[in-house]
Amino acid sequence: MKEKQFRKKHNWQLIIGCGLTGFFVLFTIVGQFWTPYDVTAMDAAARSAPPSLAHIMGTDNFGRDVFSRVMNGCGNTFLVAFCTVGIGAVFGTAIGALTGFYGGWIDEIIMRINDAILSFPSILLALILISLLGPGKLNIIIALGIIFIPSFARIVRGEVLRCKSLEYVQSARVMGISNFRIIFAHILPNIWVSMLTAAMIGFNNAVLSEASMSYLSLGVQPPEASLGRMLSEAQSLIFNAPWYAIFPGIVIILIILGFSMISEGLRKLQWGEN
Amino acid sequence: MENLLEIKNLSLSFYENGAEQKVLKNISLDIGRQEIVGIVGESGSGKSMTALSMMRLLSPAAVITGGEILFEGRDLLKLSEKEMESVRGDDISMIFQEPMTSLNPVMKIGKQVEESLILHTHMKKDEIRRQVIEALTSVGLPEPEKLYGKYPYQLSGGMRQRVMIAMATICRPKLLIADEATTALDVTVQKQILRLIQKFHEETGTSVLMISHDLNVIKSVCSRVIVMYNGDIVEMGNTQEVLRHPKHDYTKTLVAAIPDNDVPSDRSSVVLEAKDLRLSFKEKDGVFSGKDQKAVLKGVSFCVYEGEILGVVGESGCGKSTLAKTIVGLNKHFTGSLQMTCSRPQMVFQDPFGSLNPARKIGWILQEPLKARGIRDKKERLRLVDEMLVKIGLDPSFKGRYAREFSGGQRQRISIGLALLMDTGFIVADEPVSALDVTVQSQILKLLLQLHKEKNLTMMFISHDLEVVRHVCDRVIVMYLGQIVEMADSDELYKNPQHPYTRLLFSAALDGHKIEDNDDSEDTEAQEVPQGAGCAFYPRCPYRKNSCRKKKPMLRLCGDNHETRCRAGALK
Repeated sequence: MKEKQFRKKHNWQLIIGCGLTGFFVLFTIVGQFWTPYDVTAMDAAARSAPPSLAHIMGTDNFGRDVFSRVMNGCGNTFLVAFCTVGIGAVFGTAIGALTGFYGGWIDEIIMRINDAILSFPSILLALILISLLGPGKLNIIIALGIIFIPSFARIVRGEVLRCKSLEYVQSARVMGISNFRIIFAHILPNIWVSMLTAAMIGFNNAVLSEASMSYLSLGVQPPEASLGRMLSEAQSLIFNAPWYAIFPGIVIILIILGFSMISEGLRKLQWGEN
Repeated sequence: MENLLEIKNLSLSFYENGAEQKVLKNISLDIGRQEIVGIVGESGSGKSMTALSMMRLLSPAAVITGGEILFEGRDLLKLSEKEMESVRGDDISMIFQEPMTSLNPVMKIGKQVEESLILHTHMKKDEIRRQVIEALTSVGLPEPEKLYGKYPYQLSGGMRQRVMIAMATICRPKLLIADEATTALDVTVQKQILRLIQKFHEETGTSVLMISHDLNVIKSVCSRVIVMYNGDIVEMGNTQEVLRHPKHDYTKTLVAAIPDNDVPSDRSSVVLEAKDLRLSFKEKDGVFSGKDQKAVLKGVSFCVYEGEILGVVGESGCGKSTLAKTIVGLNKHFTGSLQMTCSRPQMVFQDPFGSLNPARKIGWILQEPLKARGIRDKKERLRLVDEMLVKIGLDPSFKGRYAREFSGGQRQRISIGLALLMDTGFIVADEPVSALDVTVQSQILKLLLQLHKEKNLTMMFISHDLEVVRHVCDRVIVMYLGQIVEMADSDELYKNPQHPYTRLLFSAALDGHKIEDNDDSEDTEAQEVPQGAGCAFYPRCPYRKNSCRKKKPMLRLCGDNHETRCRAGALK
């Protein structure tokens, strides 16, 4: 009994998740103003140097300090990932909630368009959009954001459909509460756990998509850094300078872990232990 | 003679996250040979756990911490799993509550019934088939040959429960456990199933353990009753004796009568007038199949007077819930006219677990109707919410809690409060107490009646429980397949039912008397009437004549405020 109370009082997942995320947000913000070395400064004397006191994460093949590049590159990664997930979540939720609630032929049409988009490989679609918009950070955000909309819309629509017929929604309708308020104040709070999970998965995908886009030199342009770009650059150096791949990789893992723990912790907070 | 089954000092606990929760506290009971014993108690009292431990079908979280279960002298708790398998089905078998889920949906009926014969006997194939057909016939199922190859979804709830009984009894067990076996069924079907169990008991001498929360079920079939409360046996003895002179406090509240409605209603002003309400649902199978219309309301006309409680009774599928939803505005596609003097009738739903938003706190939920009424001032809203919480018998501090933190009864109080906060004079209550335990049921009814008295609240009370309706309602409407078949003041209706369906319904209701064997009510369930037939009740009517096939009967006055479509007395 004591143990149970203890666990209820301390939502460790939420605490650790917030700690991790808080740390990396701070780390990134600092990285935008100050880094130990200049992010783009090359040092021919220290090319592919292993981690040392001078360069705690080593250097890359141009002799740039990996730690500094990670600090600064997190900014681009965060920016792209947040914006794409944001665009996907906002538009996807709105489309999914409205089509799910009202149904009818509009729902049919929008969901078929959704299916069509989902049936293409997302990278291919992103490439088509980028070739229309031109390369660059902003265009990557727009392209990836649009691609993320259907998966959100699908999840939200399914959940709204499920909730729509429940008695608490009917009870709200009997009270004469507007449909808009029913959707956004009554139903959405019940499905935000699914939305959060979708956002976490979306965040992971966004980090990876940004990496692939940057790898194809369509996203973040060199010499700017981003975690994804660093990972793809490190591919060819995996045996000469493994630290170049390992450290950005670890940072990505920790960032994603932090977010996953927050979403898990919040879920527990809302629904109790079970 | 020794008892068939004896439970001695049985204790059982649940372990969850290392915490122990006692479910059965040192209980002892016995079941004699050729005896029907009942266990009554509310949900969570441990009655089902007792049955499951006899079958050794407990979930791994449940641990038996002491005691023994002796079946013909053998301790079932000490048997190996292999030996237990031969006891299950062969010696002891069980009927569960939910006939929808206890039959395998992808297996044909015949195969399911066969199974225990194949496991427990060495009969040949055609011998087994013959036995199965015989068993299906003996439980009163028509055309057993055809039924053999049917799937569970093709049968009604009552037929499924008959199949369950055939399955449970085919090996001639010595003990049959029926765990809430009739709870999910309509009253008319409930009685048939009980009679079937009783018949089986009389013919074979099988002992039966009847588990139910419904005293009337226990009263009508059991010779001895065991009352359980909170994991304990609080009372035990001859059924009539225990229920007439209850000793324990819990038994007393259980037996306590349903509260009476003592406010006379004056029928001066009409709150609601419905004329010829018709509603059909589209039955959509797929994109390419045509639209099938299923008529649910077929011309319903009635009115509700101010300050009265109007009861609506009928079997499931008769359209009473659809009628309720149409009145409160949840079904928009009806034809006919619906005139109301009050602006917004409110609704209290059956399921206290589904009708409150799980993601919001009670304070927020209760403020919603006030926001809908346009009360902008938050302080004023909170004051009204506090006031309402006190009125419905809860504490104002409950505002900060989620619905899941409340019991079923408390949730139903909140639902009632929610409806009242709309400041309406008219509430439609759809089975508001049928999901609750008996003791909680009477508390909620008391609350409704008290509010009715204080605020002159008009209510439409939809229920399948005829006893509750009798005590609570001023007037009663009887519905059958989307039509009103009879309508009268409740005293008059219960004393002098006219329509053959009303009579069937009332005779099926368990009034606490023993079910007689020579009961002549027929084994029937609602059937759709063939096109062009006159009377909707024709296929089931015990008084039917050839002329009933042609003429559609109309509602006619047959006494003071008493209308009916048919007079059974006149037909006889």
